Amino acid sequence: MIDRSTPPEPGPPRRVKFPAFNRSRLSNGLEIYAAPIRRSPLVQLELISRAGGGQQDPHARAGLATLTAGLLDEGTRDSSALELATRVEKLGGYLASGADWDVAHVSTGMLSKHLQDGLQLLAEVATLANFPPAEVARLRRQRQAELQRRLAQPASLASIALLRLIYGTTPYGFSLLGTTQTVASISRDDILEFHRCHYGPADAVLIAVGDFDLPQIRELAEAALSGWNGATRVGALDLSPTSRSEPTIEIVDRPDAVQTELRLGHEGPPRNSADYAPLLVLNSLLGGKFTSRINLNLRERHGLTYGAHSTFAERLGPGPFVVSTAVATETVDRAVTEIRGELERIREEPVSQTELDETKGYLLGVFPYSLQRLDGISSRLSDLAVYSLPDDYHTVLHDEISQVDTRLLGEVARKYLHPDRLAIVAVGPATELVGQLRPLGSTTVRTVLEVESDLPPSALPIGGRK
Amino acid sequence: MQASAHLPIEEHTLDNGLRVVLQPDSTLPLVAINLWYHVGSKNERPGRTGLAHLFEHMLFQGSGHVGTNDHFRYVQQVGGVANGSTWYDRTNYYETLPANQMELGLWLEADRMGYLLPALDESKLDKQREVVMNERRQRVDNQPYGRAMERIHELLYPPSHPYHWPVIGYMEDIAAATLEEVEEFFRTHYVPDNAVLSMVGDIQPVEALAAIERYFGEFSRGGDLIRVTAEPVELSAERREILRDDVQLARIYLAFPVPAFGEPEWYAADLLSTVLAGGKSSPLYADLVYTRELAQDVAAFVLPLEIGSTFMVVATVKPDIEPQEVEKIIHEHLEASADGPPQEELERARNQLLTAHYDGLQAVEQRADLLSLYTTYFSDPSRLDKEMESYEKLTSEDLARFGRTRLRPDNRVSLHVVPKE
Repeated sequence: MIDRSTPPEPGPPRRVKFPAFNRSRLSNGLEIYAAPIRRSPLVQLELISRAGGGQQDPHARAGLATLTAGLLDEGTRDSSALELATRVEKLGGYLASGADWDVAHVSTGMLSKHLQDGLQLLAEVATLANFPPAEVARLRRQRQAELQRRLAQPASLASIALLRLIYGTTPYGFSLLGTTQTVASISRDDILEFHRCHYGPADAVLIAVGDFDLPQIRELAEAALSGWNGATRVGALDLSPTSRSEPTIEIVDRPDAVQTELRLGHEGPPRNSADYAPLLVLNSLLGGKFTSRINLNLRERHGLTYGAHSTFAERLGPGPFVVSTAVATETVDRAVTEIRGELERIREEPVSQTELDETKGYLLGVFPYSLQRLDGISSRLSDLAVYSLPDDYHTVLHDEISQVDTRLLGEVARKYLHPDRLAIVAVGPATELVGQLRPLGSTTVRTVLEVESDLPPSALPIGGRK
Repeated sequence: MQASAHLPIEEHTLDNGLRVVLQPDSTLPLVAINLWYHVGSKNERPGRTGLAHLFEHMLFQGSGHVGTNDHFRYVQQVGGVANGSTWYDRTNYYETLPANQMELGLWLEADRMGYLLPALDESKLDKQREVVMNERRQRVDNQPYGRAMERIHELLYPPSHPYHWPVIGYMEDIAAATLEEVEEFFRTHYVPDNAVLSMVGDIQPVEALAAIERYFGEFSRGGDLIRVTAEPVELSAERREILRDDVQLARIYLAFPVPAFGEPEWYAADLLSTVLAGGKSSPLYADLVYTRELAQDVAAFVLPLEIGSTFMVVATVKPDIEPQEVEKIIHEHLEASADGPPQEELERARNQLLTAHYDGLQAVEQRADLLSLYTTYFSDPSRLDKEMESYEKLTSEDLARFGRTRLRPDNRVSLHVVPKE
């Protein structure tokens, strides 16, 4: 019989290093990060450009960055949208493009024997995209329908409303997809201009991972992409949020909803904050994983939800800190109180050494898990490029996480968490929510349509709404 | 190049019937531990639906030597990732750990296979019942189109058929489950001879097998298990329904009963669904989304079900377009499939499935899950490497025959989810 009373002792650990990669430039200045990973016969290529949503004028042009990026693979000088799709899918691969807040990307993946075709496709899309008027119109209609579909998605509505509460009409206050009005007003000329200013070899990086060797990828990339030229004019927009000194609560009314979607948050630091490592530890302990305080409290201790978690968004500018959950409508005030309580507790009471060690153990131990797939490695290389991090960054980060102590954790909690001035959004039946939330702070009610069409709260009394 | 697709696989069976599958792979110092219990919502009965899934939640609430919230704690504090899921035919539990923590994973899994009952109590069940009811609200009742899949299976399978009810169960049944039922469920189904344990990663097979023997060897076999069966379902008239929901865009669901996962016809269904709607250039997607712009998106797929399966086409309709108009075009494409797809479409779909196959083998936890799957359903983990052959064998005529015999107008359910008036 074995002793089952305590967990078995671990064997000797095997430390993992981030896979070796090479950084070089093509003759036109385009930078390449290449990591030969020869575990399976696959390659993944990604071309990223400084053309994210943080680069667009928010008021009239919200949605411009994602619309421009989305159109890259919808037609070039030489091929129609469907011809591009047919070429890559015939090989069993995919071709996709899009934008987040920081960058736009075109990515493709396929069996490694088709690497040359993949690079040529990527090059065609990067250098010869010509935004055919019919495709611009088609994608705009597609986007409008997507915005309409979102009106029925409580989680999306909650996130959009929260970002507006936190950031007002500064860039991060808008959805990346824009609004029905801005999408309608974006012209093909706007797209061409945004493309001219933000896409070019000097402000782009090619990330290549998979089954190839370095001379091969360099030679093929030079052949495919060295003809790309054009100077970019990437400017910096003001991303600072509006300031708020007290809690602000907004109810988005869905009269028949059987559950309430809840978001609480405020602005956070940029990704390049010197406190990045302690913030990772803080969030992981507070709400980043299943055993974090917020989930254990709401789900395991009180059974209020299927899950609750928190994140610090990673962006070039000051992205949001957000706590997300969905709870039965009659328990919304309890959930808000418990979440606020957890934010206050972690600011005021020192965390125990055990809890800190367990959290650091998770963050350090889970590293190899994220290196199994090509997309995981590619995304880490992309972070190095986007946030200008050093080549040995993963070793540096490992050491920084190891060094976080309880004192530093308390300091960053007090510096970056503000339970006294949370923005709170509840998407659910207003008639049941107003009474619960009003005692917790200044509360307004908006209809779903007001959120999507970006109108201020109407003055309708609650009783008259249904 | 060492392709992770073709690493050697070892199979063993312990004296108590526990089947063990091992695949050493030292690429990274990780080990994936994956247990399939051959029990799912198909083993429930009407009025007591959702029990298998509620039970899965209880397996994370501690066991004889593991405290209430400690399962995830033990795993996460060493950098591990863990979860479980319930399906019609099976329930799985898995963790990926640093390889030097292999025994921790075995200790945890063995403890809940052998010592769950002493740790179960009414208050834990009450709390997880609340959690699961919130899960159902979040995933089904408060989700646009959330009720559609449930309704499709209610219409497609007769009330006595075990695929008639949803895996998560009906709200009133979740509320009604008792501790005695949960305990009985455990005693019947959570026995070593109803489970498969797969491990993939940086392991030494001899050591790993010895450790498995140490942790699981002492558990006794269960009683005789009765495998759930059902007559193949074939409809003789189309069933149509309109469901009004809190959605903005209408969505069309077409569903056809088809043979079980693993049958040659199932692979024909999978290949045909990829031919029809796999990627932007596929005929159905290109026609509806690009050329005619009638749909926001369209997908086709076949579920991997053990005793008969479901082939589906789902399309989200653009604003101001009549769902009937879109449905009519889908039917035209399905009818055309009865002539057999052109060779280049077949090649495209095969290449897509091959790339997806390699993509799915990158992570050790996905490989371990597939080894458990092929062992549970077919007692043959080597099907992992032979899967692609099933698609290579199929000809255009095989797909045509499948289209003619299965995708018939009188053998389908058509459900439209439309905005409330």
